Amino acid sequence: MKRHLALIRFALGSSRRRAGRTVSLGVALALVTFGFAAVLFLTEALRREFHLGAQGLPDLTVQRLVAGRPALIGEDWTQAIAGIAGVTRVEPRVWGYYFVPALAGNFTVVGVEADSLPDAAERELVVGEGRFFAADAPDEVVMGEALADYLGLSVGDAIELPVGRGRKRLEIVGLFRASVALWTADVLLMSTAGARAFLQVPTGSATDVAVRLSTPDEATVAARKIADLLPDARILDRQLMNRGYDLTFDTRGGILGAMLLPALVAFLVLAWDRLTGVGPGERREIGALKAMGWQTSDVLLARLWENLVLSFQGALVGLIAAYLYVFHAHAPGLADVLLGWSSLYPALQLAPAVTGGQLLALTCLVVLPFVALSLVPAWRAATLDPLGLLRGAT
Amino acid sequence: MNDAPPIAIRTVGLTKRYANGRQEKIALRDVTLSVPTAGFWVVSGPSGSGKTTLLGLLAGMIAPTAGEVHLNGRLITHLRDHHRALVRRNEVGMVFQEFALVTGLTVAENLFLPLVPTGGPPAATRAKAAALLERFGVTALAQTRVERLSAGERQRVGIIRALLGEPPILLLDEPTASLDSTNVERLVDLLASLRAEGRTLLATTHDQRLVNDPRVDGRLRLVDGALAG
Repeated sequence: MKRHLALIRFALGSSRRRAGRTVSLGVALALVTFGFAAVLFLTEALRREFHLGAQGLPDLTVQRLVAGRPALIGEDWTQAIAGIAGVTRVEPRVWGYYFVPALAGNFTVVGVEADSLPDAAERELVVGEGRFFAADAPDEVVMGEALADYLGLSVGDAIELPVGRGRKRLEIVGLFRASVALWTADVLLMSTAGARAFLQVPTGSATDVAVRLSTPDEATVAARKIADLLPDARILDRQLMNRGYDLTFDTRGGILGAMLLPALVAFLVLAWDRLTGVGPGERREIGALKAMGWQTSDVLLARLWENLVLSFQGALVGLIAAYLYVFHAHAPGLADVLLGWSSLYPALQLAPAVTGGQLLALTCLVVLPFVALSLVPAWRAATLDPLGLLRGAT
Repeated sequence: MNDAPPIAIRTVGLTKRYANGRQEKIALRDVTLSVPTAGFWVVSGPSGSGKTTLLGLLAGMIAPTAGEVHLNGRLITHLRDHHRALVRRNEVGMVFQEFALVTGLTVAENLFLPLVPTGGPPAATRAKAAALLERFGVTALAQTRVERLSAGERQRVGIIRALLGEPPILLLDEPTASLDSTNVERLVDLLASLRAEGRTLLATTHDQRLVNDPRVDGRLRLVDGALAG
């Protein structure tokens, strides 16, 4: 142990003495680590958010397609699905999109029965500012923060929007919390009655049906039964959606990771160039160390510590910078690539979801090739005879 | 009864050839010599005569093409690289013509460099280093970086480093090369005192002041890699 501590002290001194090389390699290493870590942090955090959000989804969501387009669902469908074995709850839902010319895009109108929601304390979990709408107030809405910001609205404001031949007045009583922004950025939440009026969905009809099962693992079986019973139905399985999210983020993260590989290769080429250029001063130093009794393994161990310390410092800087970039600066540029296109980008408030194993793997991806590369020139010099190194003959 | 002193350095038929492309250069040919323990010997000869190569072979820094090197009765020629490194660390102190100090480090750091692979200097070695710095008059330079020292100061630091491990054999390559007459006299005084402590000294030089000094016990001359006379 004392030997390693003494060699580490010597190695740190060597890093300081070769400051130019140390800084250039450290910066390059930090940049490469930053690139890979930012993609990993963001991908895993988004994957976690989507999985968390999917936990609240019904086991199955049933829609009706007519001529390949979504159509309203009647009460007969609700009753038919409720009669299938294993179905514990069927909930017709009213929601839809509302086009806003000023936004050049849609926002999502969602209707819920206020008294069927969890208790007030739980409602407050999603409302960041203001309050939840009252059960008997069809004109009250809770709005996504990004949408409110875009329209320049805040709690207490009211808007009038054209609906059919008339106009409908909506009063904003609350804004969603930023922590659920990924799901609520463009949402306008109101009572089911309000949503029916706003979207002009007749009483007894629904946009889709949320289905809960006694055994969620048998969702595929229940889906097949629904499809047999209702040939027009399109059935969304929560578990399949989860797999879809995984595939989406694996693909996008993989593409970005592949795009960063040339950066890793460029860094390794730089490292090789810098490290193989063992100058005459450095060769003389190795010769002096060997002449005074250092073994080849001592020289290599000192070089190993020097480059391990340098690479872990560089990797640590890269990881910290990536963490700040993703979780504090909200990954400008990168988030757009991973989230996809939208008129209203949610304000990201992501929670870190990277495991220690992933961090270790990422660090090894950058550190190990660098350290391995660095040992080759040192080994070549350290195996030469010290007299030749001192005289500059080899 | 044999009263002859034991032999500290002995070579038998020592030969070193360097390959240079298709050509071969013989740096040392068939050198057989013996230096008794506590002797102060010098090897003189013109530049390129093989003096430094001889010291390199004696210190185990290079392997001979043929022949043997015995240090205090132990054959070192056939030792593996890491065992020869231990010989250099523990049995032979070497003072180089170019000093072989590591720039960017202080005098004290350079002194303790040989001990880094053993975990650094123990307290007793630190005390010994302080005493040697005092003896050589460079105590004030202990924390000075070696590139700021004069040639004479660097040489003294090189000698202190070689002595710090208390090696029984001290090899010196052109020790007077950067010294004026006064300092040559001081250096020879010092070497004579080390010899009096029981150390064996072998110095290479082409400085006739050292060759002709009466305190030198034995003189060898190398010409074109071979012992002359």
